[in-house]
Amino acid sequence: MSYLDLTIAEIHRALLEKKVTPLELTKEALERAKANKENAFETICEKEALEFAATLTEPEEDNLLWGIPYVAKDNFSTKGIETTASSNILNGYVPLFDATVIKKLREKKAILIAKTTLDELAMGGSGTTGHKGITYNPYDPEHKHQIGGSSCGSAVCVAAGIVPFALGSDTGDSVRKPASYGGLVGMKPTWGRISRYGLFPFAPSLDHVAYFTRSAEDSAIVLQALAGRDEYDSTSSFKPVEDYSSKLGESLKGKRIAVIQEILDSISNKELLDAFRKSVEAMKAAGACVDYVHFPLDLLKSIYATYIVISSAEATSNNANLDGIKFGPFRGGKTYQEVMFNARTQGFSELIKRRFVIGSFALMSENQQELFIRAQRNRAKIVEATNNILKEYDAILAPASPKTAPVLGSSSSDKLSNEYLIADNFMAIGNFAGLPSVTVPLTFIDGLPIGVNFTSKAFDEAGLFSIIQAYEDITGLKGISTNVRKEAKL
Amino acid sequence: MKQITKEVLHDAANRLLFDMSDEELDTLMEEFKILTQQMETIGHIEGLESYAPMTFPFDCMVDYLREDVAEEPLPREEALKNAGSKMDNQIKLPKVVI
Amino acid sequence: MNFEAIIGLEIHVEMKTKSKMFSASPNSFSRDPNTEVTVLDMAYPGAMPRPNKQAVINAIRVANALHMTIDQDVYFDRKNYFYADLPKGFQITQQFRPIGSHGYLDVLDKEGNTKRIKIERIHMEEDTCKQLHFADYSLLDYNRAGVPLIEIVSEPDIRSGTEAMHYVEAIRNIVVYSQTSDGKMEEGSLRCDVNISLRPYGSNKFGTKVEIKNINSLKNIEQALDYEIQRQSACILSGIPIQQETRRFDEASGKTVLMRVKTDAVDYKYFCEPNIAPIHLSDEFVKNAIDTCPELYDAKKERYLKAGLSDKDAEIILSNIDMAAYFEKAIEGAKSVKTVANFLIVEVNGYLNKQGCPITEFPLQAKDLTEISNMQEDGFTHKQCADIFNYCLENEGTSPADAKAALKIEKQISDDGAVLEFVTAVLDANPQSIEDFKAGKDRAIGFLIGQVMKMAKGKVNPAAVAKVMNIEIRKR
Repeated sequence: MSYLDLTIAEIHRALLEKKVTPLELTKEALERAKANKENAFETICEKEALEFAATLTEPEEDNLLWGIPYVAKDNFSTKGIETTASSNILNGYVPLFDATVIKKLREKKAILIAKTTLDELAMGGSGTTGHKGITYNPYDPEHKHQIGGSSCGSAVCVAAGIVPFALGSDTGDSVRKPASYGGLVGMKPTWGRISRYGLFPFAPSLDHVAYFTRSAEDSAIVLQALAGRDEYDSTSSFKPVEDYSSKLGESLKGKRIAVIQEILDSISNKELLDAFRKSVEAMKAAGACVDYVHFPLDLLKSIYATYIVISSAEATSNNANLDGIKFGPFRGGKTYQEVMFNARTQGFSELIKRRFVIGSFALMSENQQELFIRAQRNRAKIVEATNNILKEYDAILAPASPKTAPVLGSSSSDKLSNEYLIADNFMAIGNFAGLPSVTVPLTFIDGLPIGVNFTSKAFDEAGLFSIIQAYEDITGLKGISTNVRKEAKL
Repeated sequence: MKQITKEVLHDAANRLLFDMSDEELDTLMEEFKILTQQMETIGHIEGLESYAPMTFPFDCMVDYLREDVAEEPLPREEALKNAGSKMDNQIKLPKVVI
Repeated sequence: MNFEAIIGLEIHVEMKTKSKMFSASPNSFSRDPNTEVTVLDMAYPGAMPRPNKQAVINAIRVANALHMTIDQDVYFDRKNYFYADLPKGFQITQQFRPIGSHGYLDVLDKEGNTKRIKIERIHMEEDTCKQLHFADYSLLDYNRAGVPLIEIVSEPDIRSGTEAMHYVEAIRNIVVYSQTSDGKMEEGSLRCDVNISLRPYGSNKFGTKVEIKNINSLKNIEQALDYEIQRQSACILSGIPIQQETRRFDEASGKTVLMRVKTDAVDYKYFCEPNIAPIHLSDEFVKNAIDTCPELYDAKKERYLKAGLSDKDAEIILSNIDMAAYFEKAIEGAKSVKTVANFLIVEVNGYLNKQGCPITEFPLQAKDLTEISNMQEDGFTHKQCADIFNYCLENEGTSPADAKAALKIEKQISDDGAVLEFVTAVLDANPQSIEDFKAGKDRAIGFLIGQVMKMAKGKVNPAAVAKVMNIEIRKR
């Protein structure tokens, strides 16, 4: 075990006490990265990381991210470092600017050591569709299981103890789902809380910058560094940045939690349901009021389709700039259309093409009212129902996935079943309504982790962190990784 | 609503400026079959007409507009650095016929 | 048989803001390719649009001048299509919520009557790249990508090329005088597309529309439409159906020429732009934008007419905003607005035309022109003032006072008494001329006047001399 396996807060103390230096941490993170077998990396920025780490000699006491190595999903624009969004259409693309969050982290003296794999263009949930192939779950050295996606590489890096935090993005559940499969704290704050400038857009009305850590405390620390109004992102919130750690340590007493019964009903895994119910009882014992509430079943079932239609439609438009002309491999052609056609045909994977056609189909003038606009109306209805629950409760709670990490290559689950539509896809509610939403580990089943998801009111991240920290005490799984094994209490 | 046939989907792909092979289109047709059923879950929701189509997750209207001040532009070599086909400080394409 | 022409105009105006519509790239219309671009203008992934406040202010001002209802909630939409000059693969525009709607403009029709043209909408959007076409390749310059545009769409209320020309002229005056745009059709900062169809008088069905693009002058608008009306009439009368086409105007031949036949309408898949938070414009913001708008053409013209200028003179001065600005400076402290105007229109314009330079490079300061025109009011002759004017131009930096001194110009004598002395002396010295005059040779008087001018070394006012001479010669 090394300092890298600790939480950010713990590493910070060690740095302050000069027990370890940023350069040492960086060197070790790079070694672990290079030794990693889960295919989590697009680019390892060894030279830049070592150079930067070497300049950090005087620890900053009040700066908790000082000298901490991290990784970023390869859909964050990093100046001078190739960024491909795991798609061949962007091979060789070297951005001219840093995403705002990358800039902020550098100002905080955190050290970027690598860009990580993702499902191509962030459009996927299995961690298998990036151009470098499958990214594996570090909890299964035999590589039979997914880590999920689309933020697969970033999830691996934190779950395997390579870095204590990693940037990802979450449009439907792309951080919160792999967090469940990887035993991580996967946090997606309120829409607009973190600037999206420099994040390659998938579906802007649903996209969020999100991130992985191994504890609630660390999650608050990272948000503190990333949150805030950015004039370069016109949708970023003007709301002042609070002290996100201020409510850590508060007990669950008086907290009101709503569990959606219909989500539980759609899950068949008995061990999961058992552990979940135990955690609910433990919360009650700690003073929380936990109610099983209802959410209209047909509305829950419609979440997935609503998500697919809206996200595919926006994605089709967002990726129309990828034409091999300004950047990305130039494939030539006899006309400008051919130039674009060749670049896009050769550069996009099959799966992405299918998504784009779906999106385009939904936006066609003959279909728009019935598909796209109707989905947008349904979004409003789902958001209303969700916010109605949150009027009476501090957070909504449910298992973050119906099962542990799926087996690779197994025939996909029945895409029309309630389990798929509801339990596997309900977290999109957090994107529709832009609400802060976080996955935390619950237990292990057959050696694989699985988590729960809390979603709270807009801009109530501080409240959310206090709830999940209390939950950490209940599960006993704070700080877990493949290097830090703990016994699940539940 | 437009009927979903392989030709329609192929045409949609081409209008997005990429091609799809026959097998890829078969897969897509299968996907559409399931998608259509999934989209029926939206079709079953009643009373949607009384909801305005939602673009943003919540009311995010602002009263802020960017001041009209010019910033440093990209240095030309930087701007064109990633382009695969250039000439005379511009990006070069086959002749665009109007 | 006569057909009624149903004409609608779509005008795109490039705004001369300091930065672009959605990016902070400089917007100085540089000719040096790809020197005014940012990551957003080239559609690099992750770049995001940020609407320009001045562009919104300009749009409000123009909408207000066109009597439009202003939508105080600003939303943008995406117009999705692929083209070489469209880096993002979509244009950010305002399809569903244009900033202005339901306006009008009153223009003169062919007969000189005032006619109201209704305006459907005005909205903000961004311009595309410039393309340079060569034999077998094209080059892209992204300087223009993202330049702020205002699009103004009229209802099809226009009925003739003349009306269309007046309409465009009026719009040009509004955008130029509000400091929104240079409005130069020949440079592309004001672009005009026309839609025209014909129908028999009395019919209320619409004929097939033809689009005419890239008309680059006011005169060409009138000519293009006159020709097109003729062409379409001839077709209809010969039973040739009008096709939905896009045509351009060929200046040399005075004809419209087919560019392409219109294929199926493109499906732009418009949807609300999710990367721009909608903006609410307060009543105060809108009022302030309107109140601080620079004085517009019509208001200036009214002022000039009140000050005594003729319609024609006012129009000449106002035809160039820099000239109007110069004029307004020059009339500060001027004793006669009309005199200043005359100098401007005749002497100054004459100089500018000869030198081929614009008034912004005119070497004489406005206040100097004021001084010179005031001299004329003080009794110096126009010729004397013109001489001073020319001297100042030839000797840059010389003040009018110094020029007057250098040329030894003195006020001409026009006092009748003094003039009488000269006249008497000349008559006394030229008895033959008196006889000639009495004999009916009128030219004799001219000779005698000339002699007076010679004797007085030009220092007498010729008009006064003539007056006195005519009286005195008859006494002899």
